Amino acid sequence: MSEPLLLGLGLRASYVLRIGEVRAVDGVDIEVPRDAVVGLAGESGCGKSTLVNVLLANIRPPLRIKSGKILLDGVDLLEMSREEVRKKVWGVKVSYVPQSALNALNPTKRIIELVKDAITQHTPATDQEVVSLCKRRLEELNLPTDSIHKYPHELSGGMRQRVIIAISTLLNPRLLVVDEPTSALDVSTQKQVLKMMLDMKRNRIIDSILFVTHELPVLRQVSSHVYIMYAGKIVEYGPADSVFFNPLHPYTKALMYSVMTPEPETRERGLVAIPGEPPSLLMPPQGCRFHPRCPYVMDICRSSEPRLVPVGEGRGVACFLHHSEVAS
Amino acid sequence: MPIISPFIIYILRKGAFIIATFFAFLLVIFALPRAIPGNPVAALLTQIFQQAQANPDTVKAVYRKFLEEFGLNKPLHEQLFDFISRLMGGDLGTSIAFYPRKVADLVASYLPWTLGLLIPAILVAWAIGNLLGAWAAYRRRTRVDNALLPVFLVLSQVPYYWLAMILLYTLAVTARVFPVAGAYPPAMSPSLTSTFILAMLHHYTLPFLSIVIVAIGGWAIGMRVLVIYELRSDYVEYSELLGLSDKKILGYVFRNSILPQVTGLALSMGTVMGGALITELVFSYPGTGYLLFRALSTLDYPLIQGTFIILVSTLLVANLIVDILYAYIDPRIRVSYVGD
Repeated sequence: MSEPLLLGLGLRASYVLRIGEVRAVDGVDIEVPRDAVVGLAGESGCGKSTLVNVLLANIRPPLRIKSGKILLDGVDLLEMSREEVRKKVWGVKVSYVPQSALNALNPTKRIIELVKDAITQHTPATDQEVVSLCKRRLEELNLPTDSIHKYPHELSGGMRQRVIIAISTLLNPRLLVVDEPTSALDVSTQKQVLKMMLDMKRNRIIDSILFVTHELPVLRQVSSHVYIMYAGKIVEYGPADSVFFNPLHPYTKALMYSVMTPEPETRERGLVAIPGEPPSLLMPPQGCRFHPRCPYVMDICRSSEPRLVPVGEGRGVACFLHHSEVAS
Repeated sequence: MPIISPFIIYILRKGAFIIATFFAFLLVIFALPRAIPGNPVAALLTQIFQQAQANPDTVKAVYRKFLEEFGLNKPLHEQLFDFISRLMGGDLGTSIAFYPRKVADLVASYLPWTLGLLIPAILVAWAIGNLLGAWAAYRRRTRVDNALLPVFLVLSQVPYYWLAMILLYTLAVTARVFPVAGAYPPAMSPSLTSTFILAMLHHYTLPFLSIVIVAIGGWAIGMRVLVIYELRSDYVEYSELLGLSDKKILGYVFRNSILPQVTGLALSMGTVMGGALITELVFSYPGTGYLLFRALSTLDYPLIQGTFIILVSTLLVANLIVDILYAYIDPRIRVSYVGD
């Protein structure tokens, strides 16, 4: 196995507020291999977006890194200054596509102006060269080339999202990080956006994608690996097929039962909402953070916290139901 | 596709609205002074005959003569009709208190002083206020912002006439650094010589500062909030993650935050005209505010009407200019109303 593209080790990050410390990322290890689509799933408020910011080394008060390393091609991003990350990493090695494409673009600038401002930060290209680079890429991705001369509000939501993905990756970054890229789109537009990202990966414009979403069906279509996050921690990870086929953690199961899937079992079972609400990250519950909502809760879950342990096949789960020492 | 350019339609629509507003205003400015008890001729005659003992019959004859002269003996609807038809012919009438001077001449001689005082003062305050406000927002939660914000708050709440009086008392009356009154030394007559211009600037400093200093606070507070809000928008974060420099991003934020301030600028251009009234009184500055004060205290109907017509027209025209500017600055408005 070659060295992973992005490796987050022992990451802890908190929002330090007057009322206390919100531990939004609490001891996370995550790996994005080369040539992979890694899904990161969880409910709203579980810390997904914070983890994304941490992985991008986009740390701004009140968010603070408590510990950990982020190795991109073996180099620790947390050792670099923000200026250095901005010049050498963002848009060059790692690109980011934000949650709301609607507001992601400056409303009073034509898109090409933003692209010029961005690309000229990283390369000595002239404006002319940027325009032709941009047009070539849009053609390659079957997007209308005149869209870059428009203002953001002149594009439809789906088109805007695709244009954002295209301009984010003009410099062929190795990793594309997408945060809920399809949540605001209708199903057919979602499909176009997903297809475009996969095409980009096939054409080697990008190597890997880190796909953050709460929509499991979308992840199921595109990802090769998944991480399931709950209350600031990874509760389960593994190859996508295996996790979706046989979820081990009760939270993963609950997540899957709460969405529509094409399988006949879904119809028989109906949709099952997860009872209760995600816990406050300011004062997470004792023991396993999922225990107040867990149908399989045991005594031990209330007092001690399960570690994330490997269970074979490249999978891991943080649940006492699957810890051999407890089970036996 | 419309045959007429959408831009023309946009302007025509705005123009029609402004004309309608103007006529509504004419009715108000005709009616309001006449609703005040007393009449201008009586006020004038009292003044004239105060010193000299006059034959009551003479006074009555003069009174009637004056009423006729100004058309004040006619029924109100005829007076209104006269007023509007003269106005259409460009005639603002004759002043009663400054008889026989024409209202238009009076306004023309006072207006340049007001414009010369207010336009630079508003523009300077607007520019400084917005820059300081943006700076404070950019340095939020640092010493810069912690020091600036209270200053803005205090400035914005200081009554401008109070500051005017403080400045007048300290720098003119006590320290004698600046002159106490007027727009230029009474012994001089306006000319384009360097001596006169220097003397004029000397008189200009205090009224100018008293308006600028107070206005900076309001603009800065507004801009600070706008920029803080704008800095939180998604496009700022996305632009940053594209690798854009702080400088570029601040440029975006400044431009987008300044849009509402442009509207504010035009509105204050109009309203501060009347608002400088007390400033002009404090410094005995010969502007329209001073003129308006004289007109109101003598119930000089034609002069009140004439001064207000000039002020309100300026406000309306300023609004129209802003609407056009806005369409130019903000592409979203350009597209929705004007066409690209």
